[in-house]
Amino acid sequence: MQTSIDKLIKLTQPGQEADAILRKCVHCGFCNATCPTYQLLGDELDGPRGRIYLIKQALEGNAVTRKTQTHLDRCLNCLACETTCPSGVEYHRLLDIGRNWVDQHVQRSAYDNVRRKLLRGILPYKRRFHFLLSLGQMMSFILPDAVKRAIPARQIRSPWPDKQHQRKMLVLDGCVQPSLAPNINTATARVLAALGISLVKADKAGCCGAVSWHLSAPEEARVFMRQNIDAWWPFIEAGIEAIVMTASGCGSVVKEYGAYLADDKNYAQKARRVSELTKDISEILVNEDLSFFNNTIKNIGKPQRVAFHAPCTLQHGQKITGVVETILQQAGYELTHVPDAHLCCGSAGTYSILQKDLSQQLLINKLKSLENDHPDVIVTMNIGCLNHLASGANTKVLHVVELLEKGLRQGKSLN
Amino acid sequence: MNPIINNDDTVQLQELTQNAYAKKIPLRIFGSDTKSFYGNKIQGHPLCLVNHVGIVDYEPAELVLTARAGTKLREIEALLHSAGQMLAFEPPYFGEEATWGGTVACGFSGPRRPYAGALRDSILGVRMINGKGEQLRFGGKVIKNVAGYDASRLMAGALGTLGILLDISVKVIPRPQLEMTLVLEQTPEEAITYMNTLAGGPVPLSAAAYVDGQVLIRLSGTQAAVQAAAVKISGQEHEPSSSFWQQLKEHSHPFFSTETPLWRLSLLPGSPMLKIPGDWMLDWGGAQRWLKTNEPANLIRDAVQAAGGHATLFRQGELKDQQMKDGENTPVFHPLSKPLASVHEKLKTAFDPEYILNRNQLYT
Amino acid sequence: MSENRNTLSKQFLQFLPDNAVLTHNEDLHPYECDGLSAYRQVPLVVVIPETIEHIVRIVNICRKTNTPIVCRGAGTSVSGGALPLENGVLLSLAKFNRILNIDPVNRLACVQPGVRNLAISQATQSYGLYYAPDPSSQIACSIGGNVAENAGGVHCLKYGLTVHNILQLKIVTIEGELLTLGGSGLDGPGYDLLALLTGSEGMLGIIVEIVVKLLPVPECASVVLAAFDEIEHAGNAVTEIIASGIIPAGLEMMDRHATRAAEEYVHAGYPDNAAAILLCELDGIKEEVSAQISQVKDILLKHRAVQTRIAKDEVERQLLWAGRKGAFPAVVRLAPDYYCMDGTIPRRKLAFVLNRISELSEEYQLAIANVFHAGDGNLHPLILYDANKPGELHRSEELGGKILELCLEVGGTITGEHGVGVEKLNQMCVQFDTLELSQFHAIKHAFDPDELLNPGKAVPSLHRCAELGAMHVHEGKLPFPDIERF
Repeated sequence: MQTSIDKLIKLTQPGQEADAILRKCVHCGFCNATCPTYQLLGDELDGPRGRIYLIKQALEGNAVTRKTQTHLDRCLNCLACETTCPSGVEYHRLLDIGRNWVDQHVQRSAYDNVRRKLLRGILPYKRRFHFLLSLGQMMSFILPDAVKRAIPARQIRSPWPDKQHQRKMLVLDGCVQPSLAPNINTATARVLAALGISLVKADKAGCCGAVSWHLSAPEEARVFMRQNIDAWWPFIEAGIEAIVMTASGCGSVVKEYGAYLADDKNYAQKARRVSELTKDISEILVNEDLSFFNNTIKNIGKPQRVAFHAPCTLQHGQKITGVVETILQQAGYELTHVPDAHLCCGSAGTYSILQKDLSQQLLINKLKSLENDHPDVIVTMNIGCLNHLASGANTKVLHVVELLEKGLRQGKSLN
Repeated sequence: MNPIINNDDTVQLQELTQNAYAKKIPLRIFGSDTKSFYGNKIQGHPLCLVNHVGIVDYEPAELVLTARAGTKLREIEALLHSAGQMLAFEPPYFGEEATWGGTVACGFSGPRRPYAGALRDSILGVRMINGKGEQLRFGGKVIKNVAGYDASRLMAGALGTLGILLDISVKVIPRPQLEMTLVLEQTPEEAITYMNTLAGGPVPLSAAAYVDGQVLIRLSGTQAAVQAAAVKISGQEHEPSSSFWQQLKEHSHPFFSTETPLWRLSLLPGSPMLKIPGDWMLDWGGAQRWLKTNEPANLIRDAVQAAGGHATLFRQGELKDQQMKDGENTPVFHPLSKPLASVHEKLKTAFDPEYILNRNQLYT
Repeated sequence: MSENRNTLSKQFLQFLPDNAVLTHNEDLHPYECDGLSAYRQVPLVVVIPETIEHIVRIVNICRKTNTPIVCRGAGTSVSGGALPLENGVLLSLAKFNRILNIDPVNRLACVQPGVRNLAISQATQSYGLYYAPDPSSQIACSIGGNVAENAGGVHCLKYGLTVHNILQLKIVTIEGELLTLGGSGLDGPGYDLLALLTGSEGMLGIIVEIVVKLLPVPECASVVLAAFDEIEHAGNAVTEIIASGIIPAGLEMMDRHATRAAEEYVHAGYPDNAAAILLCELDGIKEEVSAQISQVKDILLKHRAVQTRIAKDEVERQLLWAGRKGAFPAVVRLAPDYYCMDGTIPRRKLAFVLNRISELSEEYQLAIANVFHAGDGNLHPLILYDANKPGELHRSEELGGKILELCLEVGGTITGEHGVGVEKLNQMCVQFDTLELSQFHAIKHAFDPDELLNPGKAVPSLHRCAELGAMHVHEGKLPFPDIERF
C-alpha cells in the first residue's frame, strides 16, 4: 500500500518501523474475515484493515480525535488477523505504535483515565490484587450478580512437590494468577515432577509487563520487564533448562522481551536470552513421553470429552497450534468439535473490563461454540481466558495442566 | 459424415432487419419451425435463418464450439460426438431439423440439466442483430469472461424477442465413458425423496425422473465411478440406458401422446406433489414436472405460485378459446408481477425499440 | 458538498443509529478504497444499514436527491468495483451477514449478501454440502460481491462461476422496489434476469438476498503437484489433460515468482527452483479419482514434469491450496505493491502469451509473477511495483493495459472473473465497439435511467472511448491488419 508518512514521524525509529509494516499491507481484507470485532460490528473501522488505515492516516499527519482512539481501543489484540494475513503484516507492532501515537495526541475522558490508571495500579501488583480479590470473595454477598460471576471461589492450595530432580525449570508466578488460581502452577510443578523435572520460582519476579504495555504505558512495562530479568538472571546462570509460562498471555509478552528492550544497552542481551529460554508449558509437555498419563486415564474407563479453547496469545500470538491438542490426545482425552476456534473469547486482558459489551458478546458466542458438542470439561491455557469463560460457562473450566494433574492423582489412587 | 455447409448470411439478415426497423414491420424469426408450437402465437414478416449455417470454430481441447444459428443441431452433436464430446445440457430437438439458433432461443434443456447445467449455463458468447439492425457481439469464446453485462446468457430462452441470433459459442464437455439407468417401483412421494437424497450425496447422477409408478436414475461418468455407484444404489438395470431418456427428452414417450393441454411446472425439486387433478411426470429430479390436465389455467398457476414455482402452458392441445373470455388465448407463460413486467418491457425496448422481433411471443 | 452531506445524513439518521451513518473525514478515509488501493476516493457519506427496509429508504432518499449509490460488501474487489464517489453514498452491506436458511433436501441456502463465501460452505458442511465457487479471497469476500462480479475461483472449470451456482436473487431497484429474480426451482419465468444481474457490478440493482445452490461434498478429492523446468511443458500437459477427457476440479499453474511467494506464506513445500508448478485436483467417487490421478500423473511425466507429488492427506491438500489462494497478497513478500491482471485466453495460446508477457516485463522494467487458472485459460499476471516510487504505478497500469490488449489479440477477454470496475474501462473500449457499448448503456437505462447505481464503473462512456481513440479489436483481428503498429 502506498504511504506518505509525515516526515517528522518517519525520522523516529517507530515511525520507520510503522512505514515498513504499512508498506507490506496490500489492503486485501482477508484479516477482516477472522476479526472478532469486525464480525460483531460490521464497520470497516472496527476491523484490522480499517485500523491499519486509521493508524496510517494518523501517522501521515492527519488530525486524530477520540473517534480513531475508540476504534483502536476496541481491538482485542487477539492477532487472529496476523494468522490470516498472507502478506506478513506485523499488526501487533503497528497497533502498539499507533496506540501510543494516538494516546499522545488525544485526551481521554477523566473517567477513562481513572479506570486505566487503576488497572495499571492494581493488576500488576500481586499483593494489591490479592487484597482486593480476597475482599471481593469475602463480601461477595453484597456484590451485584455480574461482578460476583467474575470473582472465582477461593482455591485451596495443594502442596508443591519437594523432591529435587536433575532437570530444572523456572516458572513465572505472574501477578493475578497466584491469587485467582494458585493451583495452576502447583499442578504444573506436580505434572513436571512426574516427568522428572523440578519447577522453581523466582520470588522477586512479578508481572510480565503486559498490562502496562497494552494500556499504552511502555516505559512502565519495561520497568516490570527489567525486574523480572534481574530476578531470573541468577537462575539462568545456574543453568535452568527453560522459563515456563503457564499463562499464554504472559508468554507472548516475555517472548518479546528481546524486541521490547532491544534499545536498552544494559538489558538488550539479557532480554534476548530470556526470550529464547521462554517456553509455553505446552511446548515442554509435547516433547515429553506422556504415555504415563494415558495409562492412568485408560484405567478410569471411558475417555473424558474435552473442549479446548486456544487462547489468542497461544495460537495467534505465539503461533502454537495443534500442540495442546496433541498433548490432550496423547494423554487419552477425546477432543470435541469447536467451531470458529480461531475467535477470541473476549477476555483479552483488561478488555473484559474496558469494553464490557463487546467482551460479553464474544463470551456468549465462544461459550456457545465450546459447549456445542457437550464436553465434560473445557480446558484452556491462559488465566484470563479461564476466568472469563468460567464466569459464564455451564461446564467446568480448567487449565490444561490442572486436568492432567487430576488424571495423575486419580491414576495413582487406582494403582 | 458430410461436411457441414458454410454460409454467412449476416449481411442479408442485417439489411432485412434494418429495413423492418425503418418501416416498423414486425418479423417472425424462425429456423426449421420444429418448435413453433411453443410460445404465444405471433404474426410477422418471415425471417428465416436456415441459410446462415456452419461451424465457425471448434477446437476440442479448448472445450468450446461456435456455430451459426441455422446449423442443424444434429450436425453439431455428430461433430462433437466424433471428438468424444457433447453438449452438457442434452437439448431436446422436437424435430429432426432443429437448428442451433432455435435451440438457444427456446432455451430448452434435457434430463441432464440439474446435474450438468442448463443451456444458458453453457453459453459463452453470441453474435446477434438487435431490433435496430445493429450487429453486436457479447461474451466470447473463452470459458471465463465477465466483461460487460452478460447479454449472451440473456438470449437463452428469450425466444428471439431481444435479438436475432447469428452465432452462438458454448462450452462443451467430454462424453462420459459409461451410462447406466436403474429402475425402481415407487410412489411419487417416495420418488421425490429418493431423487433428492441421491442428488445430495456423492453419486454420479446425470438424470432422475418419475413416471408410471417407476423412478428412473441415470448414472454417468467413468466406468469405475458408474459401476461403483451402481452397486451402492438399488434398482433394476434398464436397457438400453438411452432409450427412456431419449423418449422423455423428445416427448416421444407415450405419456406425451395426448391432445390434453400439457403444462410444464418449475418447482423446488423436493416440493410435495401438488393437488391438481391430472397425469404427472417428474423430470430433473423433481424440479421440472409435466402435467396433462384440462383444469383451468388460473387454478394451476395459483397452486404452482403458492409452492414458489411457475407454470408454462407448454403445448396447448385442445385448450383453445373456451377458457378465456373474449376469445383470447390462455397466456403461455406465467404472468409476471407488475414491477418485474415493467423491467421486461424496458429491457425489450432497450434491445428492440420498435418491437419488431417476435412481438408478443413471450409476453404481450 | 458539506451541506449536501449534512442534509443527507440528517435524513438517514431518522431511521439509522449514529454509528451507522459516517460523515467525518476521519471515519470516511478507511472506506476510500476496496482491495485495489491504488484507486482512492473519499465518499460523501457511508451508511451501514441492517434491514432491507433500511435499504429501500436509503434508495428512495438517494433517488429523490439524485445522489449516486455505491454498494460495498467485504471490500475485496481487485478491480475497484466498490470505489466510492465524491458525491455519492457508500452503502455497506457488511451487516447483512446472516445465513437465513439452509435447505438440505433441495440443496440450497438462502443468505444475505454480506455473508462470506467460505462461511456458506462451513455452515453447510454438516449436511455434506458446500458452495462450489471459491475465489482466492473466499475467506473474506462476500457472496453479494461474488454475484455482482460473477466471481470464479480455482474450481470453476468443473463447477462453474457464480452464475452457475445461484438460483434466486432479491434486489432493490433504484425505484425502491423489491424484485425476485430466478425461481425457487431451476428457472424463473421470463427473461433470464438472474444471469443478467450476475456480474453487473452493482449497476442494475442492489442485491439484498441470494439463494445459492449447494453441491454434495465429493466423496474423495486428491491433488497432484507437478514441477516443470519450462512453462511451455506445463502448458502442454494442461492441454493434454483436458483433451484426454478429464475435467479436473482445479488445474492451476504458478510461475517461479508466485511459487516462491506462496511458499514463504504457507510453507507447503512447493519446489523452489521450478519454472512453473501445476496443481491438479481430481474429485468424485474414490474409484474414479484413483483411476484418474494415475492417468494425470502419466500425462504430467510424459510432458517432462521434473517432480510430481500427490498430497498424502486432507491437511496437505488444503495446504497446497492455501498457498495458491494466498498467492496474490503473498507476492508483497517480493515487492511492496502488485497490480493484478485478469485476462482470459484460449488455452492453446498460453506459451505465446507468456513469452510476450515476459518481453513486456523487460520492456517496462517491472517484474511479473504469473498465477494462472490453467484449466480455463484465465491468467493473473501480477505486476510487481513500488507505489512510493514516482511513476511506477503509472508504468504498471500501462503495462497492464498492454497485457490485456494482448489477451484480446489472441481472441480472449480483458477480465475473466475480477470484473471491469474502474481499472479496465479503457480496455472495454478495445473489447467492444460503439454499438455494443451503446447496447450496454441501454440495458443500464432499462434498470437505472438516471444512472445512480455505481455510475462510471464497468461500462465506459462513449465519450471516454472516443477520447482514448482506442482501437477496437474483434476476435483477435485488428481492423486493417496490414498497417504496421507500434
